[in-house]
Amino acid sequence: MVGKIGLLANPASGKDVRRLVARASVFDNQEKRAIIRRAIVGAVASAAGSGSELEFVYHNDAHGIVQQALEEFGGDIKATPVDSTQMSSALDTISAARAMRDQACDIVITLGGDGTNRAFCLGWQDAPMLPISSGTNNVFPNLREATIAGAAAGLIASGQLGSELMLQQKCISVHIEDEREDLALIDALLTNERFVGARALLKPDQFRSALLTRAEPAAVGITSIGGLLNPVDARADHGLWLEFGAAGDIVHAPIAPGYYQDVGVSVCQTLKLEQTVRCVGPGTLAFDGERERTLRDGQEAKLTISRTGPRVLDVTAALHRAAEIGSFIKPQQTQPAPKTS
Amino acid sequence: MSDEISNEVLFDLHRRMVRIRRFEETAGKMMEDGKIPGALHLYVGEEAVATGVMAHLSNQDQITSTHRGHGHLIAKGGAFDRMFAELFGRATGYCKGKGGSMHISNMELGMLGANGIVGGGPPIAMGAGFSNKFRKTDNVAVCFFGDGASNEGSFHEAANMAALYKLPVLFVCENNGYGEYTPQANHQAIVDVADRAQGYGMPGVIVDGMDVIAVYEAAGEAIARARAGEGPTLLECKTYRYYDHVGVRGMGLTYRTDEEVEEWQKKDPIDQFETRLAEQGILSAEAAQAVHDEVLAEIDKAIKFAEDSPYPEPEAVLEDVYA
Amino acid sequence: MAEAQQVQARTLPYVAAITEGIRAVMLEQDNAFIAGEDVAGAGGVYGYYNGLLKEFGPERVYDTPISEEGIVGLGVGAAATGCRPIIDLMFMDFLGECMDEVANQLAKMRYMFGGAATLPVTMLTMAGAGMSLAAQHSQSLEAWLCHLPGLKLVAPTTPYDAKGLIIAAARDDNPVIVMLNKMSLAIQGEVPEEAYAIPLGKANIVRPGSNYTIVAIGRMMHEALKAADQLAELGIDAEVIDPRTLQPFDTATVVESVKKTHRALIVHEAVRFGGFGGEIAAQIQEDAFDYLDAPVARVGAPFSPVPFSPALEQHYIPNAERIVAEAKKQLGL
Repeated sequence: MVGKIGLLANPASGKDVRRLVARASVFDNQEKRAIIRRAIVGAVASAAGSGSELEFVYHNDAHGIVQQALEEFGGDIKATPVDSTQMSSALDTISAARAMRDQACDIVITLGGDGTNRAFCLGWQDAPMLPISSGTNNVFPNLREATIAGAAAGLIASGQLGSELMLQQKCISVHIEDEREDLALIDALLTNERFVGARALLKPDQFRSALLTRAEPAAVGITSIGGLLNPVDARADHGLWLEFGAAGDIVHAPIAPGYYQDVGVSVCQTLKLEQTVRCVGPGTLAFDGERERTLRDGQEAKLTISRTGPRVLDVTAALHRAAEIGSFIKPQQTQPAPKTS
Repeated sequence: MSDEISNEVLFDLHRRMVRIRRFEETAGKMMEDGKIPGALHLYVGEEAVATGVMAHLSNQDQITSTHRGHGHLIAKGGAFDRMFAELFGRATGYCKGKGGSMHISNMELGMLGANGIVGGGPPIAMGAGFSNKFRKTDNVAVCFFGDGASNEGSFHEAANMAALYKLPVLFVCENNGYGEYTPQANHQAIVDVADRAQGYGMPGVIVDGMDVIAVYEAAGEAIARARAGEGPTLLECKTYRYYDHVGVRGMGLTYRTDEEVEEWQKKDPIDQFETRLAEQGILSAEAAQAVHDEVLAEIDKAIKFAEDSPYPEPEAVLEDVYA
Repeated sequence: MAEAQQVQARTLPYVAAITEGIRAVMLEQDNAFIAGEDVAGAGGVYGYYNGLLKEFGPERVYDTPISEEGIVGLGVGAAATGCRPIIDLMFMDFLGECMDEVANQLAKMRYMFGGAATLPVTMLTMAGAGMSLAAQHSQSLEAWLCHLPGLKLVAPTTPYDAKGLIIAAARDDNPVIVMLNKMSLAIQGEVPEEAYAIPLGKANIVRPGSNYTIVAIGRMMHEALKAADQLAELGIDAEVIDPRTLQPFDTATVVESVKKTHRALIVHEAVRFGGFGGEIAAQIQEDAFDYLDAPVARVGAPFSPVPFSPALEQHYIPNAERIVAEAKKQLGL
């Protein structure tokens, strides 16, 4: 059989203004290339001896990150680019995701932050994914050595492990009056700011309300505000609704990497799956930490939380399972020579 | 930082961009008609960059510019009459007719010159930043340069020294995808010039150079950082020039496709901004048009001033060589 | 009288006079600073910045990276915005690394801006052969710089001139390049303690004479004096002129001398072909053609890079013997 692994690296991740105001990590594209290369090494290592062939199906981004990583293997790897746009925008990621869905990839390794994975899911919402972090806010992707992540992906693609090690994620479907639909994986926030601008969310006194699929006290971003009040993990079948204002608790939260701010929270309540909340403009909606869509005065957006998001592989569980079934154990070729003296 | 951008700032950003666009369109046409001698490198398409940065600067803050310098001077507060007079080679021009388009400057506005040398600006901006720190001011020096200039040794020396001395300098890379006529892919192995910042020990960030608010916000943070003594920043603005490297013709060029130009024009910084302002009820289409009309009227007056101005006397050739 | 003078006169080597000149500038100009390679911690590769870091502190004396274009750009940007930088180009040969900043920015900014920019930059640089430093650390490149409108250039030959010309350079509102000579560093001479400026553009008649003119640039002035002594034995009374400033050049003093002596010889350490001596010769023939009894003679280095071997370098650098030989040829002796 042939197992298909999708590869996508977002050249734009890890480079926005949050490296100035906050102290977010920088990922240059040489590093991204090296990460992809290590993931490929891991996947090839775990698939070796499984009897399955691996094919890499990749998005040929404008910076050639994946392409150049593949070239370093000198043609020993079977790899095919997907038909995707070259606009140097999120549209490239979306179109690549659609193409990978059409090719029925067994798993897709994405390299980016929350914003990158959100864009990917706009193209393939329930994709089987292994997100590796190279972004700013990294609630969704794993902070995980790429070699091991790649190995886990290889175990899935080569058929050694099944989909029971994947957890389907919650997400927020966004319906904006008169406009195209949108999606958030971790959080959707309404701010009074009137422009998308440099996208970063750095002004808590402008925040109005937020819906969180996960409220992670051990993460950075908007999710941390809820997480420090009332944690909600990925498995819980509910989300959290926040309204901001001076009337309630003041949460000292890391709303961006290296950037703690006091945030006033007046309402904090759980929200069951399939429930819908409304946001009304003027303002700007931010998804997964970045301002994305502006709302006109009176324009309404409906936000619905559900478990219809991507299926994400648990890397640790996958490698433990690999140990149990001996995926990396080779039969001995020869008997060791007896010791003579 | 917590303040929402005021309407006054939004109007100001809009007007600065319109002033650049209209000036450049007019100047380009006059060059084609043979009324302006020499070579013009026009800024049409890149207006949001100069505007978003300059809105944070005072006359005591300095900038260095590029071949494509009109937009920088206009955004810094340059007057049309003296600019046209300079382009016409008249004695009333900003440089008394001795600099022209490629050296247009004004010291009172802190505009340390367009520069005919690719990469000429960075060392000078670094020196101005050094001076700001040495003289114990809180002024900032901003260096505009292109993706092409980022391959000049002068840029590397200046960036290294600015970071070494922690100078109040902002390096603004106007990455328009071409070094003169050569696409970026044929002149450097990277796509993001901001990636180089790490190598000097300064932060490098990328922003959409077609979105004036994005540039305004990011530049504001970098400039605040510089004023606070935290050192230089490399801000890369992804942008595009609609016209050719020199002159006006934008379509039908051998080294780029018309589709590419059209794709970028869909993100036009002025159209995009005017749409947003109208949607938000901040500035109606009519009010925006009124700004264009006012600017065009100002241009007409400025051209009249320039045309009525005398040429420099022949003996002026030997003046201003030395102090 | 001689005794009284000896008490008052103070003798310093050229290298110490340079330091005194820089120090005087730093004391009288608050907005002056020093920047260059190894000028702070090490005191400069030839030691003429010794003690200045200690006296003026790290806010006024800066070691720079080995980035000549950056150093000159630092000077340009700082000068245009209110400072009076003293920058150091360790060897004149390194002009190649920073020629854009020197030729296109420093020299031209004022003119291009219609006189609006003022660039009071003083750039010290070390020229000259004689230490077996070979082709890239030994050149005299004054001709490159004197061809650029907007720059001034001085070439001090004595300790007295070194101090006085550095002070004059720094007080001037134009970019001035101070071309020092590494073989002159140990030359002793009287140097007043107070700050004094030697006017730019004014030549110095080092030795008056009546029937022969030698114009000698930089260290060649000392060789010209030795040559003049030898010529005196032949009955030639040579006048030796040290231009001191090459840009602006004091044509009047030279022409006046030639009108009196009717013969001229120009000597410089730089390559003779295309050297600054050609310009001086042209000036003389333009202004004093009818006074000349013979074509103007020139002595300079042969048309080759500066060689390394002492045997070759000795032959390469012009000296008193070659000056005398050239003069004798011109005089038909």
